[in-house]
Amino acid sequence: MTTNSSLTSEQIEEYLHEAVSEHVHDEEANSMFGFVIFLLSESVIFISFFAAYIAYKTTAVNWLPPGVEGLEVREPAINTVILVSSSFVIYFAELALKRHNLTFFRLFLAATMAMGSYFLAGQAIEWSALEFGFTSGVYGGMFYLLTGFHGLHVLTGVLLQGIMLGRSFIPGNYDKGHFGFEATSLFWHFVDVIWIVLFILIYIWQ
Amino acid sequence: MSGELTGGSTPQKQYRKWLILTTIAIVLAVVSIGIGKLSYSWLPPQAAAESILIDDLFSFLVTLGAFIFLGVTGTLTYSVIFHRAAKYDMSDGPHIEGNVMLEVIWTAIPILLVFWIAGYSYQVYQKMAIKGPMEVVHLHHIQMGMQPAYAAESIASMGEPTEDIEVIGKQWAWVFRYPEQNVTSTELHLPTNKRIRLALKSEDVLHGFYIPAFRLKQDIIPGENINFEFTPIREGTYQLTDSQFSGTYFATMIADVVVESPKNYQEWLANAATQTPTAAPNQAAAEYAEEQHETIKLGWPTVKPAQPPVVNYHK
Amino acid sequence: MSSTPLENKPAVSHSHAETVTTWKTYFSFSTDHKVIGIQYLVTSFFFFLIGGIFAMIIRGELMTPESDLIERTFYNGMFTMHGTVMLFLWTFPALAGMANYLVPLMIGARDMAFPRLNAAAFWMIPVVGVLTMASFFLPSGSAQSGWWSYPPASTQVPLGFWINGQSVWILAVAISGVSSIMGALNIVTTIVKMRAPGMTYFRMPAYVWTVWAAQIIQLFGLPALTAGAVMLLFDVTVGTSFFDPADGGNPIIFQHLFWFYSHPAVYVIILPIFGIFSEIFPVYSRKPLFGYKVVAISSMIIAGVSGLVWVHHMYASGTPGWMRLIFMLSTMCVSVPTGIKVFAWVATIWGGKLRLNTPMLFALGALVLFVFAGITGIMLSSVPVDIHVNNTYFVVGHFHYVLYGTVTMGLYAGIYHWFPKMTGRMYYEGLGQLHFWLTFIGTNLNFLPMHPLGLNGMLRRVASYDPEFTFWNVVASLGAFLLGMSTLPFILNMVSSWSHGKPAPANPWRAIGLEWLVPSPPPVENFESIPVVISEPYGYGKTEPLTANDPNVKLPHPASKPVEH
Ligand code: HEA
Ligand code: HEA
Ligand code: CUA
Ligand SMILES: [Cu+2]
Repeated sequence: MTTNSSLTSEQIEEYLHEAVSEHVHDEEANSMFGFVIFLLSESVIFISFFAAYIAYKTTAVNWLPPGVEGLEVREPAINTVILVSSSFVIYFAELALKRHNLTFFRLFLAATMAMGSYFLAGQAIEWSALEFGFTSGVYGGMFYLLTGFHGLHVLTGVLLQGIMLGRSFIPGNYDKGHFGFEATSLFWHFVDVIWIVLFILIYIWQ
Repeated sequence: MSGELTGGSTPQKQYRKWLILTTIAIVLAVVSIGIGKLSYSWLPPQAAAESILIDDLFSFLVTLGAFIFLGVTGTLTYSVIFHRAAKYDMSDGPHIEGNVMLEVIWTAIPILLVFWIAGYSYQVYQKMAIKGPMEVVHLHHIQMGMQPAYAAESIASMGEPTEDIEVIGKQWAWVFRYPEQNVTSTELHLPTNKRIRLALKSEDVLHGFYIPAFRLKQDIIPGENINFEFTPIREGTYQLTDSQFSGTYFATMIADVVVESPKNYQEWLANAATQTPTAAPNQAAAEYAEEQHETIKLGWPTVKPAQPPVVNYHK
Repeated sequence: MSSTPLENKPAVSHSHAETVTTWKTYFSFSTDHKVIGIQYLVTSFFFFLIGGIFAMIIRGELMTPESDLIERTFYNGMFTMHGTVMLFLWTFPALAGMANYLVPLMIGARDMAFPRLNAAAFWMIPVVGVLTMASFFLPSGSAQSGWWSYPPASTQVPLGFWINGQSVWILAVAISGVSSIMGALNIVTTIVKMRAPGMTYFRMPAYVWTVWAAQIIQLFGLPALTAGAVMLLFDVTVGTSFFDPADGGNPIIFQHLFWFYSHPAVYVIILPIFGIFSEIFPVYSRKPLFGYKVVAISSMIIAGVSGLVWVHHMYASGTPGWMRLIFMLSTMCVSVPTGIKVFAWVATIWGGKLRLNTPMLFALGALVLFVFAGITGIMLSSVPVDIHVNNTYFVVGHFHYVLYGTVTMGLYAGIYHWFPKMTGRMYYEGLGQLHFWLTFIGTNLNFLPMHPLGLNGMLRRVASYDPEFTFWNVVASLGAFLLGMSTLPFILNMVSSWSHGKPAPANPWRAIGLEWLVPSPPPVENFESIPVVISEPYGYGKTEPLTANDPNVKLPHPASKPVEH
C-alpha cells in the first residue's frame, strides 16, 4: 500500500493555503448537491408507486371499476404538451437570469407558472368529470394516488416559482448566486419527467 | 507491505507452522462434525419426508457454521490471551497494512462456500417440490427430471394419487375439508406415506400453515388458493399452528394433526361422514365471550372472532 | 477537493461566534453538530430504556405458558411498540447521533453541510417519540400488528376511527423517515463536500466510509417504505383497498415495499457499527486496520447488495420458487464482503499489543456475537431451513444477536471510546468492565435459548405457548432481567463520570485521528485552523504525523482578494 511520502511540499503548501481560505467551500454548491440527492431519493417514491401500479395492472382480475371503460386521453394529452413545454420555458428563464436580464426572466417565469396552473386546472376538471373515486378498487386508488401525488409536486413547483418571482424584486437577491432558482428549475424538470412516465403508464398503456 | 502473520523465516519454522495449522484445522473439523451430528437432537421428530432433507441440510449448515465460528473465536481468544500489551509497554505493534495473499484467500473461500451452501439448498428445495402460490396452474411436472433416485423413494413421485384436502384459516380457527367425502373437521387427519395436496384458503387476513414436525410452512393469502404438497411418514399426533400474525388471538390458532395408517384414516373419514355437523369449541371465541362479561375491561378493543366453525368432526 | 483557483471563490465573511456550550444548550435548537450528536444519543438512550421496559413486560408474560400477566391485545401492542421503539427511536437516532458527532471531526470540517437542517432533523425525533407513546392512551390502544404492520390484519380497526393506534403509528414512522432522509442528505453532502484539504476518500477513517454507505442506503430505501406507508395509511383511514384482497387489493405488494427498505435498514444499522469496530480495534491493538482499502470498499459493496435481497423475509409468503432461489443466492453473497471485514479485524488484532479497556471488551464481545448471528443469518437465508424456522424464535434469536449483541454492544463500545472526547471526562473503568460482563452474559442467557425454541417450532408474537417450551422461556426471561439490570452500571457510570469524572486529555487512548488532535471536548467550531491531512489513517507503528499543521493554532489569513459575483 502506498504511503504519503509521495506528497510534495508544494502540494502541502497548496493544501495549507486551501485550509486557510476555507469557508470558500461554496455553500451554493453544497446546497445544489444536496438538492440533487434529494430529488434522486424522491424519485424512488414515484418508482415505488409505479412498480405497484404495474404489479396491480398485470395481476388484477377486475382491473377497471364496474362501468368504467377507460380514460379519455385527448385532454390529458394537451395537458401533457403544456407541461412539457413549460420545462423549456423555465429553461429560457434560466438563460435570461444568467444574462442578468431580469425582465425576460420574470416574463418567462410567469409564463411557466401560468402553464403549470393550466395543467393543475386541467387535472382538476378531469378529476371532477370521472365517474370513479379514490376508493373505487385498486384502479381508482392508484389513479388518484399517482395523479394526486404528482399534482402535489406541480403545485409545490408553482409555489416555488412564485416565491422566486417575488424574490427577484428584492434588491441584491442574486448576489450570492442563483441556487434558489436553479433548484426550482431542476425541480420543475423533475416533475415533468415524472409526468411523462406517469402519462405513459396510466393513459397510453390502458 | 510485510504481511507474515505468524513469525518464522527458516524452512523448518515454516514447516512447523503449517503442521500446527493443519492439526488445528483437523481438530476443528472433527469438533464441528460432532456438533453437526448433535444438531439433529435440537429438532422435533421427523414426521414428513421433507423433514429428513431439511434436517440434513440444517446439520450441514451447523457443521460449517461451527467450523467458522470456532475458527474465528479461537483465533481471537488466542490473541486476547497471548498478545496482551505489558502494563508499561507503550509501544505500537508491527505496522502491517495488509496482505494481498491472505485477502484473496479469505475472499475466495467464502465465495466457494456460498456456492456450495446455495447449491445444496437448491437441491433440497427441488427435492421437496413444495409449491408456492404461483405454481398453482402448472401442477407437478418440472421437478421430476431433477430428482435423483433416492428422492423418489422418500418423497412420493407424481404418478401416485394424492390426497386432496382443503384448509381454511379464519380468525381464529382452522377448518379442514375432505371434498370427496364432504367431511369437515377441526382436526387434520392424514394418512402416512401418501402425497398430500392441500388447498390453502383464508377468509380474512394472512395466516400461516405450519407444522413444526413436518418442517413445512406456507403463508395463506386471502383471495388466493395456494396448493401445498408434502408426504407424512410417521404416525402420531402433532401440532399445526398459525405462523403468520393474524391479530389478537393469533396464539390460540392451533389444531391437532393426526397422522395414521391409511386404514385408520379411511375409517376415521367414514365415521366422520356419518356425524351431523356441530359447532366446535373455539378458544378465541371463548376468551372473547369471557372478556365481554368482565366488568373492568383491561384489554383494548379487538376484532371479534369469527363464529366457531360448524364441522362433522371435532374433539 | 475542488480544483478551482481559490481566488475566484467568494470569501464569505464568517464570524467565529464564540458561544459556549452549557447544559442549557442541549435543550435548545442548537446547530452545533456536537451538541446535536449528544442530543441524539441521550434522547435515543432514553427510548432504549422505554423499549427495554416493554421487553421486560414481554419476557414477564412469557415466563409462563398461559397468557396471564397481560391481556392479549396489550401483549400485541407491547411487541409492536418494542420493535418500533428499538429500531426507530433507539438504533437509528443513536447512530445518527454518533455520525453527527464524529463525521465532521473525522474529516476535518467545522460542522455539517446544513446545520439548521441537522437540528430540524433531530427535533423530529422527540415528536416521533411523543406520538408513539401517545398512542397508548387512545381508545383503540397502540398499534398491535407488529413492526411490519402487514395488511390486512393491520388495516382492521375495530373502532373504525380515523385516529387509532395504527394510523398514529404510520404517521410516526413516516416522520421518522423524513428525519432520516434529512439526516442522510446532510451526512452524504458533508462527506462528499466538506472534507479537509488532503482528506482524500482513501484517507477517511473506515468509520466515515461505513456511515457514508449506510446513509446512501437510507436515500434509496426509505422512499419505498414511505410509499408503502402512504398507501397503508389510506387503506386504514379513507378506505382505499390497495392491500385489501376482499376488494381486489394485494397484501403482498405491501410486503415488497416494506422489506425493500426494511431489509437494507438492518445494514444501515450494522454498517456504522462495523465502522466503530474498525476504529476501536486498531487503537487498542496498536496496529493499523488490516486491509484498510478493502474494508472501506466492502462497506459500499454491502450497501449495494443490501438492495437486492429483501425477499428473504418473504420466502414463506406469496413468493414463487424462482424468486425464493434467486434471493437465496443474493442473500448469501452478503457474507463475502462481511467476511472480508471480519477477517480483517481478526488480522488487525492478531499480533497486536492488546489492551482490554471497556471499549475493546465491548467491541470484541460484539464481534463474537456478530459472527454467531451472521451464521444463523446464513442458515435463515437457505430457503428450506427458513421454511421451517421462519416466524419462530429462531429468527428472534438471530436478530437480537445482531441488534443487541452487535449493534447495542457496539454502540456501547463507541460511547465508551469517545466518551472522554464528548464530555471532557474519563469514565470509570471498573464500572465499565462490570457493565460489559453483565451485558455479555445477559445477552447470551437471554437470546441463546431462543434458538432451540425456534427450532422446535415456538412461534414469535404469541402471548401463550405450549408448555413443552417453558424451560427455555424461563431461562430467556431470567437472562432478560439480568440484561435489564446491566444497564444500571452504565447509567451510573455515565451520570457520575460526566459530573465528577477525571478531566480527559485531548487524546487519552493515544489514538490516531483528527478528532484526537483537538481538546476534549472540542471547541464550538472544532478546529482553529482546518487540518491539512498528509497521511493515511491508522498510522500505528509509524511516526509520521497525520497533519501538516496543528489544528489548534490559527493560521494567518492569506491575502485573498474579495470577489465580486
Ligand atoms: C443489524 C441487523 C442485522 C444484520 C446485520 C443481519 C444480517 C443478516 N441476516 Fe438478518 N435479520 C435482522 C437483522 C439483521 N440481520 C432482523 C431485524 C430480522 C428480522 C426482522 C423481523 O422479521 O422482524 C432478520 C431476519 C433475517 C432473515 C429472515 C428470516 C425470516 O423471517 O424467516 C434472514 C433470511 O435470510 C436473514 C439473513 C441474514 C443474513 C444472511 C445476514 C448477513 O448479513 C450476515 C453476514 C455475516 C456472516 C455470514 C458472518 C461473518 C462472515 C464470515 C465469517 C465469512 C464466512 C462465512 C460464510 C461463508 C457463511 N435475517
Ligand atoms: C435494537 C433493537 C432491539 C433491542 C435492543 C431489543 C432488546 C430486547 N428484546 Fe427485542 N425485538 C426487536 C428489537 C430489539 N429488541 C424487534 C425489532 C422485535 C420484533 C418486533 C415484532 O415482532 O414486531 C423484537 C421482538 C422481541 C421479542 C419477541 C416478541 C414476540 O415475538 O412475541 C422478544 C421476546 O423475548 C424480545 C425481547 C427483548 C429483550 C429481552 C431485550 C433486552 O435486550 C432489553 C433489555 C432491557 C433494557 C436494556 C432496559 C431495562 C430497563 C430497566 C431495567 C428500567 C430502568 C429504568 C430506568 C432507570 C428509568 N424482543
Ligand atoms: Cu471563518 Cu475564515
Ligand atoms: Cu433481511
